[in-house]
Formats: sequence, C-alpha cells, structure tokens
Amino acid sequence: MSLAIDIVKRDGKRPTESFNREKLHASVRAACLSVRSPEGEAETTASNVCDAVIIWLETKPEVTSNDLRRKATETLESFHPEAAYLYKHHRLVM
Amino acid sequence: MISSLAIIAFAALIHASFQLSVSMLTLLSGHAIGSKTAHAKLLRLTNGFLLGVAVMTMLIISFIAFVFQHVFGNTIPLVAWAISCGLLLGLGVAVWAFYYRREKGTSLWLPRGIARYLSDRTKSTKRSAEAFGLGLSSVVGELIFVLAPMVISALVLVRLEPVWQLAGIGLYTLISLLSLLIVNALVGSGHKLSRIQKWRESNKRFLQFSAGSGLLILGFYVYVDQVLSVTALAYGGR
Repeated sequence: MSLAIDIVKRDGKRPTESFNREKLHASVRAACLSVRSPEGEAETTASNVCDAVIIWLETKPEVTSNDLRRKATETLESFHPEAAYLYKHHRLVM
Repeated sequence: MISSLAIIAFAALIHASFQLSVSMLTLLSGHAIGSKTAHAKLLRLTNGFLLGVAVMTMLIISFIAFVFQHVFGNTIPLVAWAISCGLLLGLGVAVWAFYYRREKGTSLWLPRGIARYLSDRTKSTKRSAEAFGLGLSSVVGELIFVLAPMVISALVLVRLEPVWQLAGIGLYTLISLLSLLIVNALVGSGHKLSRIQKWRESNKRFLQFSAGSGLLILGFYVYVDQVLSVTALAYGGR
C-alpha cells in the first residue's frame, strides 16, 4: 500500500519516493527477526509499527527518510526495545 | 625463539582488536537472520567470511615476509626495525585519536561512502563464495591499521627457521581471528545480535584504548629490544 506522502531520501541526494508500507513493514520485521523474535511476533510488531507510523504520517505532506526512521524506531521501542536498538543503529555498525 | 613467537602473538592480539571485520560479520549475520536464512546456511555464510579473513591475513603476512626475506635476507638492518617501530608508534596514536567516530554506535574511521558500500555489499551477500570474498576485502579495508602489526610480525618471522615461520604464520592468523571466532560462536549458538552489538558499543572506548596502547607498547618494546640494545652493545664493544 502506498500513501500519497513523499519521502525525501537521505541528504536529498536520491529522488523522492512515495511512502511504501510494505517496505517499512519488511525492514521492521527483519529487525525483529534479527533479534530472534518468533516470526508471528515479528509480523505483529511490524504491523503495529506501520499502523502507528501511518497515523503519524497522515498529517504531513512530506517527511524525510530520517524522520520516518526515527518515528518507526520510537514506536518499535515500545513493542520490542532490542529490535528497536538494532533498527536505530543499523547504519552505525561500521 | 620464544620471544619471537611472543611478539607475533602480541601483534596478532592487537590485530584481533580491530573491528572492521567484526562489524561486517555482525551485519552479515543480522541480514541473514533477518531474512529468515536457515541456521545451516547462516553458519556457511559466517564460516565463509571467516575463511576469507584467514586466507587474506595469511597471504598478506606471507607476502610481506617474502618481500623482507628477498630484500634483507636473514639479517634485518636496524633502520628497518626503527621504521617499523615508528609505524607502530604513529598508528598507536592514530588509533587513540581516530579509530572510532564521535557518534553513537560503533562507526569506524572509514569514509562514509566506503562504509555504505561495504554495508550494502554485506546486505546483498547470499552465498558462501560471496561471504568469502567479503572476508578477503574486510582485511584489505582495514590494512592501514593492521599493516603495522603485520610488518613487525613479518620482520620477526624472517629470522626464524622455515618450520617455525609456518608455525608463526599459523599462530598469527589464529590469534588475529579470535574476536571473529568468538562472535561466530555466539551467533551460531543463538545469542541475540543486539546484545553483541550493545557490548561492542559500550566497550568501544576500551577496545580503542587497548588497541592503541598495544601498538605503542609493542613499538617501544621492539625498539628497545632490536634497536637500542644492539646499538648499545655495538658502542660497548668499542
């Protein structure tokens, strides 16, 4: 599902793209699986995070990918702190 | 000979404290587990990566030792020891100053473009052969820091008997892989990556301090042992 909200990519160097729920869902689910969550729990957590992010997005015409990631991390922290840690720091591992 | 092997072991321990390969192994495991890769395949990937690191480490140290043997023979000139000690001391200070970036996580000194490239390559690694190649490139990527302990070990290796040279190369490779072997064992036994990464993040300053200090101590020891003592003996003999 794509909402009519533009996501401005990191540093504005790559072209803007529409919000894609599946993409967010897949990344949150992967973070949950990375910390050995059961698959069902990972699916549920990812769906809950996507729902919360979409509610947040509804009031905004355009957000940056960093904002989107920050909001997703904040929400994920309440469901799965360990997965949120990996999700937040995945670009800061090396 | 014991002191030669001790120098090689200590240099390899310093090598093991550098973190680029560990970061790449952590990322590789994270992406593999996150995409529901079977446990056996995950182990094949991580073992392939480890094998790549081991092969490249052996190749580089053997190559450096070969070049030294070819250039110097079995007698290493004092100036070569002095330059190598300078390299160790300089890199020790550089590790203290630059090894980790001043931000959260375990971001290393690497230019961000290269770090992103390595991260993307790690993410798209699906086969053992690719993981092997990634292991090879991780050693090359960190060469600027691991070069100094490798050079000192190669200088020490050149003076050993051929059988002990092989043992020294094996010892160096095995010890330099220790941190990767530990992470691999933790991932293989089902530990959470978040715990491994949190440990790395909370201890990164200690690892940085110990790697830098190790380089300085080794540089100072080798300088006293190989340069100062020989010079003092030469003057004493006059």
